[in-house]
Amino acid sequence: MLAPGTIAPPIAGEEVRGPALVCFFKADCPACHLALRYLDGWARQIAGGAPVIGVSQDGPGVTGDLAQSLALRIPVRIDTALRASAAFDLEAVPAIYLVGDRGHVVSRSQGFDKADIDRLSRQVARLAGVRDLGPVDLPGTPEFQPGCVSRHLEPAVDGDAAAPLELYARMAGRASRVSVPGTEDLEEWCYERGFADPLPVVPPTEERVERMIAASGLSPVEIVAHVPPNYAAASVEKLAANAVMAGCRPEYMRVLLPALAALCDERLDIHGVQGTTHFAAPLAIINGPVRRELGFACGSNVFSNAARANSTIGRALQLVLRNIGGAAPGRIDMSTMGNPGRFSFVIGENEEASPWEPLASDFGIAPGKNAVSFFCAEPPRAVSEHKARTAPVLLRAICRVLANVWSPRVCGRSEALVVIGPEHAETLARDGLSKQEVVEFLHGGTGVPVAEYDGDGGEGTQDAASYEECVIRGVRCYRKFRSPEAIRVMVAGGPAGKFSAVLGSWAAGPGGSQMVSYGFD
Amino acid sequence: MTSTLVNPMDEQPVRQSSAAERLGSLAGARIALLDISKAGGSIFLDRLSELLAERYGVAEVLRFRKPTFAKPAPEEVLADIRKAQPRAVIEALAD
Repeated sequence: MLAPGTIAPPIAGEEVRGPALVCFFKADCPACHLALRYLDGWARQIAGGAPVIGVSQDGPGVTGDLAQSLALRIPVRIDTALRASAAFDLEAVPAIYLVGDRGHVVSRSQGFDKADIDRLSRQVARLAGVRDLGPVDLPGTPEFQPGCVSRHLEPAVDGDAAAPLELYARMAGRASRVSVPGTEDLEEWCYERGFADPLPVVPPTEERVERMIAASGLSPVEIVAHVPPNYAAASVEKLAANAVMAGCRPEYMRVLLPALAALCDERLDIHGVQGTTHFAAPLAIINGPVRRELGFACGSNVFSNAARANSTIGRALQLVLRNIGGAAPGRIDMSTMGNPGRFSFVIGENEEASPWEPLASDFGIAPGKNAVSFFCAEPPRAVSEHKARTAPVLLRAICRVLANVWSPRVCGRSEALVVIGPEHAETLARDGLSKQEVVEFLHGGTGVPVAEYDGDGGEGTQDAASYEECVIRGVRCYRKFRSPEAIRVMVAGGPAGKFSAVLGSWAAGPGGSQMVSYGFD
Repeated sequence: MTSTLVNPMDEQPVRQSSAAERLGSLAGARIALLDISKAGGSIFLDRLSELLAERYGVAEVLRFRKPTFAKPAPEEVLADIRKAQPRAVIEALAD
């Protein structure tokens, strides 16, 4: 707030003629309504007009409606451009300044504080030589109510002069440079500037970012993707800066470039996933020789913090989503429970332990070629089956877990990714099942018993009339998945332990998120 | 020694936009409800339509629907709303 003794800046092009109380407000702030009613009530006691000026941060229409609903008599100036708000340097509204007869700030107050406003009113009355009748009686109002953030400090806008968003631009400007004095702790400085998730980052120094850009072989200003939901441009340089922060090595740019393009493919609908209250987070699956070349975890602890490539590439993508795309927790991303995969969610397929063709081949990418695929997933659900000696017994265990994805009685909406552990893959291979046969078994064997739709009105019961009925092992069921294509199967995990994992999807299909797979060299 | 960092945040200028002017009153107005197509939304919106007429004297309630709640409204839906010229649109979330 402008300090006492400073000359008050003009408001809407007019000097403030003191002595006067100047009250900044915005129409949707309840504390502002209280302050305005209080000041207006006080001003009405003074014959010949009181020295009070309201300054609205909203347009004339909204301001007029508010003035009418509060029956205000005090004069109000409009500061839609927020120039005066910035010049008076207020942090919150209501903000009340007492301007003296020489045009300088004498005293000030923020928020609605009865005692403070009384003090300012008495002061201005004395300076103006008017008879003050004392505090105003507004029954039922609190003594104090904190205000709202001043409009000029709300999320940044650059005015009408800013160019409209160019969704198809191929080149961006260079990233700005930020100088940090040597006395600062760089990691703490990055954290305080909101550069990151809550974990410490590697400071994106020019040297580190340049090495990352050089490894990409591309121009720093080339746009890799427009990142939803803000559709802001992620240039090679911006991706590189976030990759440095995440702890990536320069050679990881080879994966990060196609991964970011795939992540922002409209079919994946990351726009919706970033804004949902659901658990979904984008899971990246890596195929091809790049797994060995860059050291991706495909075996033991595949979903954990086992390898630098998985952990830092996934983190870099998440940082781009929040720093460039604009969806950070509490700001657009309002997921009810969240997902631990929001730190990083990258797995390699254990192609060496798989009896089948890799996952990316489901999307037309030749086996042996590098690929990154995305599936927007719920957290993994565990399948433990240590007793099954045959494929049907094992697959039925997986079906039971599959039946619960999204919500147990919702059918026909979700998709699922089944990550078969190597020991389970062996059992299936021993019985000679192809991947297609596995998928068809899982589709045919997963259902929800009709008996569970007992009229309690719970989720999934309202639409039951539209579900496909079937009989699974003599039990009348609704089919869980609309087609075998709704289930994808891959192999990952360590050599010991008869475990697999099932991951449900977010809203699936063309009206939601569809899996994408991008090949690269 | 001063360190130089590369700004990793979005720096694209954002165009100013302000909230549309609020209506002083709903009486006699034509109001559009945009159903985002979540399950159960129609039950909620049917009741909202009744209340808009009963309590606020809304003359006409028009209903529009997004094909999916998972994506932004397509241009055709927005064009249909504009063509109907309502005084205000309520984007009607329901779950």
